[in-house]
Amino acid sequence: MGMRFPLNAALCVLALGACDNSASPSLVVAAEAAAAPVEVTPAPSSMRRLTQAQYHRAIVDLFGESVVVPELEDPDVAQGGLLSVGAAGTTYSARGVSSAESAALTIAEQAMKDPAQRARWVPCDPTGPGDEACAREAITRLGQSVWRRPLTVDEVQRVAAVVVEAGSTLGDFFAGFEYGIAALLQSPHFMFRVELGAAGEDGEARAFDPFELASRLSFFLWNTTPDDALLRAAASGELATDDGLRAQATRLLDSPRSRDALRNFFSEQLALYKLDALAKDPKLFEHFTSDLGPDAREETLGLLLYKVFDEDADFRDVLTTTETFLNPRLASLYGVPAPTTEGFRRVHLPPEARRAGLLTHASILNLQAHQTSTSATRRGRFVRNVLLCQPTPPAPVNVDTSIPEPSGTTLTLRDRVKEHLENEDCATCHLAFDPIGLALENYDAIGRWRLTDNGAPIDASGDLDGATFSDGLALGRAVREHERFGPCVVQTLVRYATGHVEVATEAAAIDALSERFAALGYRVRPLLLEIVMSPLFRLAGEPR
Amino acid sequence: MKLTRRAVLRGLVGGALTTVALPFFESLGGRARASGGLAPKRFMLYFWGNGIQPARWIPADSGPDWTLSEQLQPLAPVKDAISLITGLEVKTPNDDAHISGPGGFLTGHPTIMKGGGDWTFAAPTLDQLVASAVGGDTLYRSLEVGIQPGVRGLSHNGPDSLNPPETDHLRLFERLFGATFKQPGENTPPDPKLALRRSVLDAVLTDAKDLEKRLGANDKIRLDQHMTAVRDLEQRVARLQEAPLDRASCKRPEAPPALDLIDGRPQMKERARVFADLTTMALACDQTRVVSFWYSDPLSDVLYPGTTSGHHQLTHDEPGDQPQVNQIVLGILEDLAYLVDRLRGTPEGEGTLLDSTALLATSDVSEGRTHQIDEYPVILAGTACGTLRTGFHYRSTTKENASRVGLSLLRALDVPTATFGAEEGEVSDGLSELEA
Repeated sequence: MGMRFPLNAALCVLALGACDNSASPSLVVAAEAAAAPVEVTPAPSSMRRLTQAQYHRAIVDLFGESVVVPELEDPDVAQGGLLSVGAAGTTYSARGVSSAESAALTIAEQAMKDPAQRARWVPCDPTGPGDEACAREAITRLGQSVWRRPLTVDEVQRVAAVVVEAGSTLGDFFAGFEYGIAALLQSPHFMFRVELGAAGEDGEARAFDPFELASRLSFFLWNTTPDDALLRAAASGELATDDGLRAQATRLLDSPRSRDALRNFFSEQLALYKLDALAKDPKLFEHFTSDLGPDAREETLGLLLYKVFDEDADFRDVLTTTETFLNPRLASLYGVPAPTTEGFRRVHLPPEARRAGLLTHASILNLQAHQTSTSATRRGRFVRNVLLCQPTPPAPVNVDTSIPEPSGTTLTLRDRVKEHLENEDCATCHLAFDPIGLALENYDAIGRWRLTDNGAPIDASGDLDGATFSDGLALGRAVREHERFGPCVVQTLVRYATGHVEVATEAAAIDALSERFAALGYRVRPLLLEIVMSPLFRLAGEPR
Repeated sequence: MKLTRRAVLRGLVGGALTTVALPFFESLGGRARASGGLAPKRFMLYFWGNGIQPARWIPADSGPDWTLSEQLQPLAPVKDAISLITGLEVKTPNDDAHISGPGGFLTGHPTIMKGGGDWTFAAPTLDQLVASAVGGDTLYRSLEVGIQPGVRGLSHNGPDSLNPPETDHLRLFERLFGATFKQPGENTPPDPKLALRRSVLDAVLTDAKDLEKRLGANDKIRLDQHMTAVRDLEQRVARLQEAPLDRASCKRPEAPPALDLIDGRPQMKERARVFADLTTMALACDQTRVVSFWYSDPLSDVLYPGTTSGHHQLTHDEPGDQPQVNQIVLGILEDLAYLVDRLRGTPEGEGTLLDSTALLATSDVSEGRTHQIDEYPVILAGTACGTLRTGFHYRSTTKENASRVGLSLLRALDVPTATFGAEEGEVSDGLSELEA
C-alpha cells in the first residue's frame, strides 16, 4: 500500500524530542535534590466534580449500603490520563443536572423510608409537619456530612425553609425532609469538591483549611466523603498539625476501604474501566464473550492490590511475577488448569504458560489491541505513555498510515509494519513504540498465546532504550528495570491526588517523592503516606 | 459576535477561548413562553465518524439537475429535499487526525490541544449556538442522542463543557414520553410536588450565588454552566405544571423494543431508526427545537454487521478501494434518508416538520484513510421556513472556508451574528448559494 508523506519529518522529531526532555531535566534535579526540603509553588486550584464512582460511594456512605444509587448521567472525562484530573476541568451538563435531580429525590425517599437512616439524620421528634426547629437541627447535622464542612446559619436556614414548606404542603415532616436532603445533594457544595484554600497569615503559603484537607485526604485514600472521625479531626484542629494529619492518613490507610480506593486509581491509570465495553469479534474469537473484559479486570486488580496491600511488595514486581488471580474462564484462555470451580484464586503460573506480569494480562492485551487483530503501536504506546510517562505524539494527519495486508512473504505483523520502522518519516515516531508492542505478538487480540501469525513464526525480540529482550516476558523485566517506571508511578499518583497535571514548580517535589519511593523499596503503601505529607498535597494554588 | 439574551460570548484567555456564557449570575429574569401557532424553526445535526470516500462521494455534475454519485445513492428518495455541498475545506489547523475537522467545522475555532492527546473545543458547537437562540422556549433547550452504544458526542457549550448524548433508547423514551409526558388534551391538574421541586432548585441556585464570589475566573464559568442547567431544569419543572401544547402531530409513541447486540455487534440501523422516530416526535411535540444525532464518534470502531474489522480500523487497513468502508457509509446515509423522510412525513400546519427544520449532516474528516479535512462532507436538508435552498449540488472549486456553511445556518435560524469562527476559521460571509 502506498505511503504518502506531505508530513514534515522534523515535526515528529521535535515532538519526540519534547518527550525526551520531559524526562531528563527531572532526573538532574532529582540527583541534586537529595534530602533537602523542596520548594513548591502549586498549580492553580480548581473545583473538582465528583466522579461517578465518588458520587456513588459518597451516597452509600451517607445513607447506607442498601440504598440504590441512580447513575449520574455525566460521563467522567479523562485528562492527563486520569478521570480524576478531568473532573477538575469539566462541569455538569443539562442532562447530568437532570439526572442528579431525579437521583437526589430517589435517594432521599429511600433514606426516609429506612428507620435507621431516619433516626441517624433526624435526631429530634418533630412536633408537626412544619417543625422549623427540628428541621434546623437535622439539617445542621446532615449538612455537615453531605457538604463535608459545617454549614453557616444562613445555609441551614435556607435548606430548613425547604423542609418546612414541603412538610407543611405534604402534611408530613419526614416527607418534607426528603426535599431538604434533595437540596443538599444537588448543591454545588456537594456536587463539586470546593477545596480553594486560603492565604496564610504572615506570608505563609496558601493552604487548605482543615475541612478541605479532610476532604482531600478522604477522596484520595478512600475515594469517598470524609467519615465522622475525620470531620471531628478537622474541627478539633488535629488535621492542621503534621502528627494529626499523619495519624488520620494512617488510620485511613489501615482501613480496608483504602484498598477499594486504590482499586479505583488503578482502574483509572490503566483505563481498566473501559473493559466493561470491551468488544471483540466473537466469530473470530470463540473465547470471547462480554464478560471477558470484567473478568480480565478482576485478574489485574487482584494482583495489583495483593502486591500493594497483602505483600507490601516492591511494586515493580507486578511486571514480572508469575503470580496472578484466575477464574476458570481466564485459566482456560491461558491454557492452564482452573484453580477453582468458581470465582478467582491466586495461582503461580507454570513456565509453560509463558506468562508473567501485567503486560501479559488479558486486560492489557485486550485493551491495547483492535477488535479483530493485535496492534504493536497501541501496545507499545501504552508502555511509553502509561507505564513510563513518556508522552508520544499523536498520529499524523494527511498521511496514509495503512499497513499492507498479509501476503506472500509479508505475513507477520513485524513484516507488515516494516515500512513504519524503515521509512525515515515514520520511524522517528514508530521506533519509539512499535518494537515494544511487537514483543507481545505472541499474545493475540484477546490475549491467547500463539507461536505464529498468519502461519509464519513470530519474532518477539527487540530492545527498550538499550535493554534487549527476546520475548514478552523479557520485555516485562526491561520495563521493571527502566529508570522511568518508579517515577511514573509517583507522577501518576500525584496527578490523581491533586487533580491536575503537574507544573514545573512542582517538579522538584515530585522528584523528591520518586527518590523516597526508591528508598522505600518501591512500596506503594508508604508512598501514599509520603504523598499526603508532601507540600504537593497540602498547599493550595490560587483559585483558577 | 453578538447573540441573543441567553448567549453572551465571554472571552477567556487572550480572547482565544470563548464560551456560551450562560448568564445565570448576570440576569436572573425568567423567559416568556412563545405563543401563537406558527411553526418554530428547528435545527438537527447528524454526525458520523471516519468520513467518506471522495472518489465515490463527489457527483459528476452540479447545479439543480445534479446526479447522485455512487456513495450518495441511498439519498435518492429524498434527493429533492436536500442539498449537497462539496469542495469546502476546514481552514483551522489539522493538528489531531479526527478532532480538528469537527472542531473547526462545528465551532469555527481552532481546536485547543492540551498536550498528551487531550483536547477541547474553544467555543460552542453550532447546535448550542442555535439552542441559545431558539432553545429557550421548550422543555429541553437541546437534545443530544447517540446511536453507537457509548458514543460521547461533540456537542459543547464551550471549553471542557460537553453535552453527553443519551445512547439508551429506552431511557430516552422514558425521559421524553414517560410519566411526565402529557399529550395534547390531557389536562390533568399539576402535581403539588412540582412546586416543591422548584423550591429545592431555587435553594440550590442561591447556594451557588454565595459560592461564586469565592471562585477564580475559570471555576466561575464552570459553576455558571452548571447553574444554568439547574435554572433550565427549574423552568422545565414550571412548564410541567402547565397544560400541554396543542400540536397536531404530537402523540405518545409506542415504547421501542430492546435492541441488544447480535454476535457482539450493535444493531446500528435499528437503533438509528428508533432514535429517529423518538426525536422526530420530540420535535413534533415541541419538546425541543435542537437535536444532535451522534451516529458514531470520530475514530469510531463500531463492528458493523458483515464487516471483518471495526470501522476505523477498516478505513486504514482495508486494501484496495475499501468496499467495506463504502458499505458502512451507504448504511449511514440510508439512515439519514430515513430521518429526513420521517421529518417530511410529519405534518405541521400547512406543511411538514422538515419545512421548519435545517438539518446538517457531516463527519470528522473527508477521507478516513488520510484524515484530510479538505473536500469536507456536507449535506443539508430542510429549508428552515424557506430561509435555505435545497435541491442542488454546489461544488466549490476554490476550497472555500467550510465555516461559511455554519454562518449561513446561524443566519437562517435567526441567530443574530455578523461572523462565525475565529482565526483561520473566521468568516463574515455565508454560502450565498445556500441562502434563499
